[in-house]
Amino acid sequence: MVYFINDIITGALIGLLYSLVAMGFVVIYRASKVFNFAQGELVIIGGFIVWFTTMQAGLSLWLSIPLSLVLAGLVGYAIERIFLTKLIGESVFSMVMVTVGLLILLRGLVLLVFGPAVRPFPIIFPLKPLFLGDMLIPMNLLMGGIITIVAAVGLSWFFNRTRSGLRMTAVAEDHVVASSMGISVKGSIAFAWVLGAILSTIGAMIFLSGKSLTFLASDIGFAALPVALFAGLESIGGLILAGVIIGIAQSLTTNYLDPLIGGSLGSVVPYIIMLAILLIRPTGLFGWRTIERV
Amino acid sequence: MDPSGIFPTSYRSDRRIIRTRWQVLALVLFMALLLLAPYLVSGRIIAILNMMMISAVIAVGLQICTGYAGQINLGQAAFMGVGAYTASILASKTGLTFLLTIPLAGLSAALFGFLFGLTAARIKGFYLALTTIAAQFLFHFAVLNLPSTWMGGSNGITVPPAELFGLRFVGETAQFYMNFAVTAIMVAGAFGIVRSRFGRAFVAVRDDDVAAGIMGINVAATKANAFLIGAFYAGVGGALWAYLIRFVGVDQFTLFHSIFFVAMIIVGGMGSIVGALVGVFIIRIIQEIIATVGPNIADSVSFLGGDIVFAGMNVVLGGVIALFMILEPKGLMHRWNIMKSSYRIWPFPY
Repeated sequence: MVYFINDIITGALIGLLYSLVAMGFVVIYRASKVFNFAQGELVIIGGFIVWFTTMQAGLSLWLSIPLSLVLAGLVGYAIERIFLTKLIGESVFSMVMVTVGLLILLRGLVLLVFGPAVRPFPIIFPLKPLFLGDMLIPMNLLMGGIITIVAAVGLSWFFNRTRSGLRMTAVAEDHVVASSMGISVKGSIAFAWVLGAILSTIGAMIFLSGKSLTFLASDIGFAALPVALFAGLESIGGLILAGVIIGIAQSLTTNYLDPLIGGSLGSVVPYIIMLAILLIRPTGLFGWRTIERV
Repeated sequence: MDPSGIFPTSYRSDRRIIRTRWQVLALVLFMALLLLAPYLVSGRIIAILNMMMISAVIAVGLQICTGYAGQINLGQAAFMGVGAYTASILASKTGLTFLLTIPLAGLSAALFGFLFGLTAARIKGFYLALTTIAAQFLFHFAVLNLPSTWMGGSNGITVPPAELFGLRFVGETAQFYMNFAVTAIMVAGAFGIVRSRFGRAFVAVRDDDVAAGIMGINVAATKANAFLIGAFYAGVGGALWAYLIRFVGVDQFTLFHSIFFVAMIIVGGMGSIVGALVGVFIIRIIQEIIATVGPNIADSVSFLGGDIVFAGMNVVLGGVIALFMILEPKGLMHRWNIMKSSYRIWPFPY
């Protein structure tokens, strides 16, 4: 029973990590109407920035973490400036295809610059797990879960209550209408990408803390994708619930079902849940139901 | 656009694919050159041509699904994989002739694609595109986790050579003719599909699905059909691939390969069968150049090892996709048509 509860708690915490990465998808979507396929690559670039500032440049954690976040923000801004600003007013299809191009472009660049070597990642959160009676909770996931919830509440408030957040929501609704109402579409998209890159870097810190770093870590982007769709692409608060559900389902499948069938069903369970929920509620749990007019 | 003086006088002549005598001549010359290619060029080029023709079948399918029906499909490599696995299992276990395995491979891939297209009844837009990524992951899961006696697991399957009346299609030249025949049929079929009732329904749904629905088109069925046809082409291409490589493994059908196919239709031009062929030609040439140059660079920058070809391909193709989307989102065919019509009406601007 203790193991069962432990699995549930660990699963929920992993799910919260997925939520944090998925928050990158949602923030970019909420402020620019672009679905960013390259989210996992942003995570890996964030990871390499953190590795560079700590392991390579030898800065202390207190200095390197803020510096990494600033650098990641700059990378996000650069990507937006180079690739997406020029596409404002083009079809959403073009913008999404550019992010598909970015996905393989960034993957290739990371490979060319850093190579396939395995690198140690700095220990950002204490390695010693938290013992709760017989239960054992990884510290990085626990801290990560708290960060995720704080970030979700904060961003949710920002997008739904503040003036600038609502402006960005208007951009996500329609670029042309938003800009004709005097909202800076450029500024909104730039902000989204900076924020998306920063969230990805935080995700990388939680995910990789004390582990090793290779270009394959970007797979977390595709692990987080079902969470974003399950919650609905517009809802930041909903990510928490969606992440917890998917994380628990995945953890239970991996620990109890996989030994029975002798496979890794756990890795596809999020996708199966996502497909099922999309068939019942096409916009996810908390997504906007848009009414289309011709 | 037709040359001056050519006016279609009936619906039939308006639907014609080959419209002028010069086009007939060009087509005949092109086919003849391709057929004689094994006598004209070296084996290396024939190998490249084989690759191009197989990619052409798959890219044309993607063109119908994405370019004509507007359904973003990032699972084309998975559909191709389903076809390749079906063909190789049928060929190695039951010994069926390739005349049957290739269509059956297409059908099984079509069924798999249709399943994901069916979600179109409920899911719209990007949500639908994202379910195709799920197809990619489910395919990998199925191959790697089903009992390895079924699909070979991570070891892959070795495929026996294609055989017809005791004639074995071994070697690049023999396979060239087999690929040529299948590709010609599939591409001709694609021209037929896109100007048929279904093809026009695809275009209507792509341009505005709500308006198409009001006009009486069954939007969900049309989208599912688009996936069905696209996946059928991918399955046939996958079967050809299996016979060419004589080995299938799950690593040959990843998300990255799907994106390479997307790159092909973006470069060639969305919504044009010829564009898909042009895109295949250009992307495959780029791949060949990288595959030839890459190892030489790898020798001088040794820490990358064998990954440089893959990495270089990703950088170049990712850059190409982004560049085309920014500069010429309609692709090379559009640019070519603009050039043609401005040449024709010169010196007038329009």
